[in-house]
Amino acid sequence: MIVLSSVSKRYPNGARPALIDVSAEIGAGEFVFLVGPSGSGKSTLLRLLLREERATSGQVIVAGRDVARIADRRVPQLRRIVGCVFQDFRLLPNRTVAANVAFALDVVGRPRHVVRSVVPEVLELVGLGEKADRYPDELSGGEQQRVAIARAFVGRPRVLLADEPTGNLDPTTSIEIMSLLDAVHRAGTTVIMATHNASLVDAMRRRVLELGDGALIRDEAGGRYDQTAPQPLQPSTSPPPSASPPGVVPAQPAGTAPAGEHSPWAAPARSGPVG
Amino acid sequence: MGGAGAQRPGRLMRPGPLASLLWTGLRRNLAMTGAVIVTVTICLAMLGAGLLLRAQVHTIDGFLLDQIEVVVDLSDGITPAERSALEAEMRRDPLIAGVRYETKKQVYERFRRDFRGSPDVVAGVGPEDLPAALRLTLADPRASRDIVVTYTGLDGVEAVRDQRALLDPLYRFLDAFTVGAFTLAAVQALASFALIYTMIRISAHGRRRETAIMKLVGASNGTIRAPFVLESAVAGLVGGLLAAGVLVAAKVFLVDGQFARQTMFPLFGWAPVWESAVVVLAAGMLAAAVMASIALRRHLRV
Repeated sequence: MIVLSSVSKRYPNGARPALIDVSAEIGAGEFVFLVGPSGSGKSTLLRLLLREERATSGQVIVAGRDVARIADRRVPQLRRIVGCVFQDFRLLPNRTVAANVAFALDVVGRPRHVVRSVVPEVLELVGLGEKADRYPDELSGGEQQRVAIARAFVGRPRVLLADEPTGNLDPTTSIEIMSLLDAVHRAGTTVIMATHNASLVDAMRRRVLELGDGALIRDEAGGRYDQTAPQPLQPSTSPPPSASPPGVVPAQPAGTAPAGEHSPWAAPARSGPVG
Repeated sequence: MGGAGAQRPGRLMRPGPLASLLWTGLRRNLAMTGAVIVTVTICLAMLGAGLLLRAQVHTIDGFLLDQIEVVVDLSDGITPAERSALEAEMRRDPLIAGVRYETKKQVYERFRRDFRGSPDVVAGVGPEDLPAALRLTLADPRASRDIVVTYTGLDGVEAVRDQRALLDPLYRFLDAFTVGAFTLAAVQALASFALIYTMIRISAHGRRRETAIMKLVGASNGTIRAPFVLESAVAGLVGGLLAAGVLVAAKVFLVDGQFARQTMFPLFGWAPVWESAVVVLAAGMLAAAVMASIALRRHLRV
């Protein structure tokens, strides 16, 4: 789904490159943690995937397209298949929860009957069915992040980028958001989550990409936040699907079948499995 | 990995959500939009006034050109042979459609008829005081100056009078006002552009969250720009409607109410008013939309 080959990025006024020779491959339907100290290049990497920036050298391929070579007027298509969630939620304060989610469909010209049927479904999935008519400032931080995830997911992107989605949330709420992202992942979406939350990474035991000073210093399947033992840098392909580790709220509500054809998360619009 | 599946590119927003974006933008930006409407109205009213003045010039042209003749006054000493030679030459001239000879007596009678309202003038002129004349109707009335040049100074010709020249001051007056109106319209157009430029900047700032999210979820560039361009076009449309109202009011109260009683010249009818109104409306909307698009290139990176 995503291929990075020798990607470097230097900002015009940057003292040192933000990314140096990063190569990695992320398969369709993978869940990847992107870790590293502030300033290590995590956000730059995500911005490259969205074509908010172009790599100085190297190649970034998302869903089979060389991102740097997409024509400007085609960039919106890229962004329709790459959803995004941020630390600061970025909701429109003058619109209700439902209107915030509907906005994402309205501005890409989806027909009204689609918007009317899909928005309540997605709000139900993120557990905000009851709060559709509330305004963002009437919600808790966790609830606002749920709205942001609903907005990112409602267009059924193939990739969801989450840039420190739990950065503003308390530990309990962080776990709830984590399990929500896990559910999005189980629905077949490739998820890349940049985070500083060590306990989440340690609990989930998913693939971890670690950046340090712009270089990729670790690529570990089922890794932890901190490198425990010296690990050779080896690109891992699809990790074995892991069950929810202990200590984390189950990704799916009890009684729900695992993601698949019958899951409410499965995209009804798509024909066939993603990837 | 294929294309984006069901999500076709370039699909535009439905009218409903677009109207709601437009409405919030206009409300948020009310004072600025009002200022744009005022300048646009003045600009378009001036443009319309210029168009109506030109229509008036054409109306007078159409009225006079049928009636205007070039009058060749003959000197008293002209011999019949000289006169018939002159007439023959004129009949060969392709610019001249007809030649009619008027004796001194006929000229005097025409003079008495034209000035029957001023007995004092008539009393001061005798039947022998006025010269005999050849009255020429022209194939192309606008070529009168050439005729004047050609026949002035020939033997037996005392003077060549172009009646259209008598109207020069009127034409100069109308032309000056037309130029003035168009100049003011141009100045106001510049002011409108400056205001629209600023309006777009403020609007882009007010909407930056919305546009950021639109970009993020993959709205096309056209969709992101549409509310801004429409906002400006609406201001242009309102300005156009107000200006059209001004033109209609000018026709009713100024032209029909005032000038019609003060001048014997025919005044333009309603057709030029409607034509100008349509021009003003279309120009207002289009120009405002184009100006907004130009301003967007500067203030909205997509």
